[in-house]
Amino acid sequence: MRTSTSFVLFDPFKDIKAQGEFTGSIISKYQDKIIFSDNLKISDSTGITISQGLLVGFEENIDKMIAFSKKSDFCWENLKDTSLEYSVLIPEEAMEEYEKGQFSNDFPFTLNLLHTAGLLLNNYKLKIDHLDFFKGEILKNPVSLIRDGIIVADRVVIDHNGDPVFYDCLIVGRDKTEELNISYEPIINVDDKALEFIIILGIEELKT
Amino acid sequence: MLLFEYKEQKLLNLLKFTGSPFKRFVSTGEIEENIDLISSRQDFLKTIVKIIEENENFILPVIADVGVGKTHLYWALKHEMFFYNIVYISLENVYRKFFYNTYSEFIENMGVEVFRSIANKLCNEWGALERTFGFFHVADIEKVRKVAFERWTSKYEDSTAIHDVIYAITTHQLDPYKKVDAERWLLGELMGIRELSRLNLMHDLREKKNSFMMLKVLIENSNKRSVLFIDDFEKIISIIKPLDEETEEVFDPSWLYGDKTPSEKSSAEKTLDKILQLHKIKGLRIVITLKSQEFYEEIKKKIEERNKGLSFLLKEPIHLSNFTEEDVFQFYKENLESFFRHINYIEYFDNFQNSYFPLNESNLKYIFKHSDGNPREVIKLLTKVFNKIILS
Repeated sequence: MRTSTSFVLFDPFKDIKAQGEFTGSIISKYQDKIIFSDNLKISDSTGITISQGLLVGFEENIDKMIAFSKKSDFCWENLKDTSLEYSVLIPEEAMEEYEKGQFSNDFPFTLNLLHTAGLLLNNYKLKIDHLDFFKGEILKNPVSLIRDGIIVADRVVIDHNGDPVFYDCLIVGRDKTEELNISYEPIINVDDKALEFIIILGIEELKT
Repeated sequence: MLLFEYKEQKLLNLLKFTGSPFKRFVSTGEIEENIDLISSRQDFLKTIVKIIEENENFILPVIADVGVGKTHLYWALKHEMFFYNIVYISLENVYRKFFYNTYSEFIENMGVEVFRSIANKLCNEWGALERTFGFFHVADIEKVRKVAFERWTSKYEDSTAIHDVIYAITTHQLDPYKKVDAERWLLGELMGIRELSRLNLMHDLREKKNSFMMLKVLIENSNKRSVLFIDDFEKIISIIKPLDEETEEVFDPSWLYGDKTPSEKSSAEKTLDKILQLHKIKGLRIVITLKSQEFYEEIKKKIEERNKGLSFLLKEPIHLSNFTEEDVFQFYKENLESFFRHINYIEYFDNFQNSYFPLNESNLKYIFKHSDGNPREVIKLLTKVFNKIILS
């Protein structure tokens, strides 16, 4: 596992605010949701802005939770009171490895969902668990929120124990010293109890 | 028996067991020649290397008589310029379906992996690997094709060929369910209408416009520069050139088919046109071999007749000459050393380093004199002598 802390753009917990405009592959954690974007601007005067990012998470709809992914512009004018937890720029080397894994074509028979759907939600009130239903299947474009971080993977397979196995993953999270870390893993096995949610991004919703 | 005599006898016995070191006297484009050119030909090789490195599109004629080593020159060039794609074709073999056969030779020479990476690179340039929201590759195959058409319409002439090649490349990279079939098409496999329609293609690579375009795509997008080595080029001229009036015609096809151009002649002319068409492939260097200066003059005339504007392509010919006496000695020694190294008989290097055994200097001088220094004749005579030694 290779790690890096120099790509943290915004982390109020560690008082990091990298001023300027950034482009590349940026992941931001916003409350219990995730924002993917190719740009982010931080300045003391205008705050933080993200143009045309993809917000991914669950929202409550009457008596059930529904997974969603929405394209939107984001702006937090006040840096001190922002609800944005952190933003990191994924290093290009990690992205290259991630892309290599995606285009290996070793797994051509994956299930591509057309619209974003929740695979797992460990919510104390409204639970979702479709892991058993998809046992043995390969699902494309999973995004997962875990206790201390985020996993973005090319595909996820549910193993015989009913636990998700992520392939070709980028992991963002805090270590024991609360520092933010970014790493690439070709394969990672996660106990479903450690997961807050898994959302499968719909291919139609990724098309711009 | 003296110790030296014992060693000589041992070597002769070994030769009787292994067979002659001189067997093949005709070099081919298929069987690799591992023996380098002799030192007197190194300058000649350097001249060709210099021309290749300093120029982009040209036709370089190499003139040499039968058996002087034109095909061996190809192997020497290939070893010397290993960082180039040097592809050998003999007009005898690729006379018909010229582009298709030449393309197949390039694929065989470059390997499938290189070809796959070119297809990947092209799709990347057309936006297949664009990251949506900074992360996700949403390969919209139609969008990628649209970009490809926009870029290639001005670059290539034939719209049907553009359609087929773009569809095949994008399907190969972005459609995992049809990838295998698309790869078969790209590798030049013959396909039926049903297979072609599944891939939404009009023709396979037997269609000359498709194979020419694929050849162009392959050469222009390869990381290595390419040289096409066309052997026996005079074959074209000998077919196109009408027979002398004095030559008695045993059978004239016009008796049966009228005054129409005989098909052999017409296809030879077409092949010449196709070779001239290769100048449209940026960076393709062509080396041709000819048996005599007359053939060079004929080719020059034919090119001018067809398109005067292309005569700049044809460079001044360079001549490969016969062996000198010293070359024969060196050639003989190098062959023996290579042979004994190959069979791991290292005693040869200890005991016969400065000797020509089992021949001697006068034998080699005799061989040079009777072969006029023609390498093929030299090898034939050496083969004969060694066969006698082995069978004695």
